[in-house]
Amino acid sequence: MPEETKSPDSFIIETKDLSITYGDGHEAVKHVSLGFPERNVTAIIGPSGCGKSTLLRALNRMNELIPNTRTSGEVIYRAQNIYNSSIDPVIIRRQIGMVFQKPNPFPKSVYQNIAWAAKVHGYAGDMDDLVEMSLRKAALWEEVKDKLKKNALALSGGQQQRLCIARAIALQPEVILMDEPTSALDPIASSYIEDLISELRKDYTIVIVTHNMQQAGRISDYTAFMLMGDLVEVGPTRKLFISPSDERTERYLTGRFG
Amino acid sequence: MPREAFERSIEEINKRIISMGAASVEALQKAMHAFRERELDAAKKIKKADADIDAQQLQIEDLVATTMATQQPVATDLRLLLCSIKMAAELERSADYAAHLAKATKFFAGEPQWRQTEMIEQMVQIGATMITGTVQAFISRSALQARQVALMDDQIDHIHKSLIKEMVMLLGSRPEDAEKVAKFIQVSGYLERLGDHMTNACESIIYMVEGIHMELNL
Repeated sequence: MPEETKSPDSFIIETKDLSITYGDGHEAVKHVSLGFPERNVTAIIGPSGCGKSTLLRALNRMNELIPNTRTSGEVIYRAQNIYNSSIDPVIIRRQIGMVFQKPNPFPKSVYQNIAWAAKVHGYAGDMDDLVEMSLRKAALWEEVKDKLKKNALALSGGQQQRLCIARAIALQPEVILMDEPTSALDPIASSYIEDLISELRKDYTIVIVTHNMQQAGRISDYTAFMLMGDLVEVGPTRKLFISPSDERTERYLTGRFG
Repeated sequence: MPREAFERSIEEINKRIISMGAASVEALQKAMHAFRERELDAAKKIKKADADIDAQQLQIEDLVATTMATQQPVATDLRLLLCSIKMAAELERSADYAAHLAKATKFFAGEPQWRQTEMIEQMVQIGATMITGTVQAFISRSALQARQVALMDDQIDHIHKSLIKEMVMLLGSRPEDAEKVAKFIQVSGYLERLGDHMTNACESIIYMVEGIHMELNL
């Protein structure tokens, strides 16, 4: 857990009565109202199928890519509901980036991985600078500065994941969503990512879904616990891990669930 | 049962806390007996018992450390382990006071019984009841019982204050006994501190059960 948790004086992004139903009628997220404090790390935890990844994907309209998904309620980002018909989801996804469970670099060079998306999104500045800045922020520069032309798939899993984070950073987002970003990595590579997250929270708002409770405890300022689509409890991580308010949170955290 | 290894550790900690509590009460009662009956050699035996209690405290600490390292407890599990360390430390201090009481016996060798010994005896009985009650509150995870036990500290404090008053008066009439009077006050002070330590343990139990820090007997 970060030493100093900043107070949630403002939510950069906030769900209001958000419900998400899949095509088969399964209601994965039920009336969730949850705010994410700016430049803090919020972890969403809960057992498999609790709706945590669905909720995460709703924060940058990723669920729309899954056919027949119905979303009701609002996701307010910078005082606007991102589900308004006037909002371009492509722009939203640039401002609210996402890093996935398995590293998914493009089968291109390290350099191109970062430059390509930035170019598509209309970046007109100095590309070399952007690549270096992004890789530095993702704590990868020192390891790859001499292999920028190499294929990204030749990097280790942990390096690939940091490259994906660099790629998200290159688009200069405000919020970075992470869906189990270390579950495919070994403990050392995971700890690099965790350190990186703690560093990134100075500049970005981070929302991370993790099934690793200890990880949530180590890196997040706030933790939200979900169960069967419901938001059970949210609060400072310290409070949740030492003295949760809800009996269900207590049982899940102490491994006595069910 | 989910988390079997964790539950086994807790069971072991419970056993050891019970054993420490029983040993502390026994040491206290033996020390009182020695003090009352002027048994000069009893102090040595109690010193040995005190060393055993010290060792038990360290065993509990090791057990808690291992459980924390291997089970990564959170929420009530975490608070329970924190409370266990605290309980062990407070019980260890209580046993120290029993040893101090036994050690004080030698200052009164050959001395006829003082009337105020009765007050020391009362404090010892309340102290022993507090130790037993604190251990029970810990084992049964009862914040209510912890609060009730902590209330008894007032009784010890009250006797301690009365005893000091009596000793000051005694000093006026028997200035030649000044050293013994000072020792008597010191002994009473040990027992007063014992009450404080059990109160601390009770606060820790309330934290374990309710997750809140509470100052009892302000």
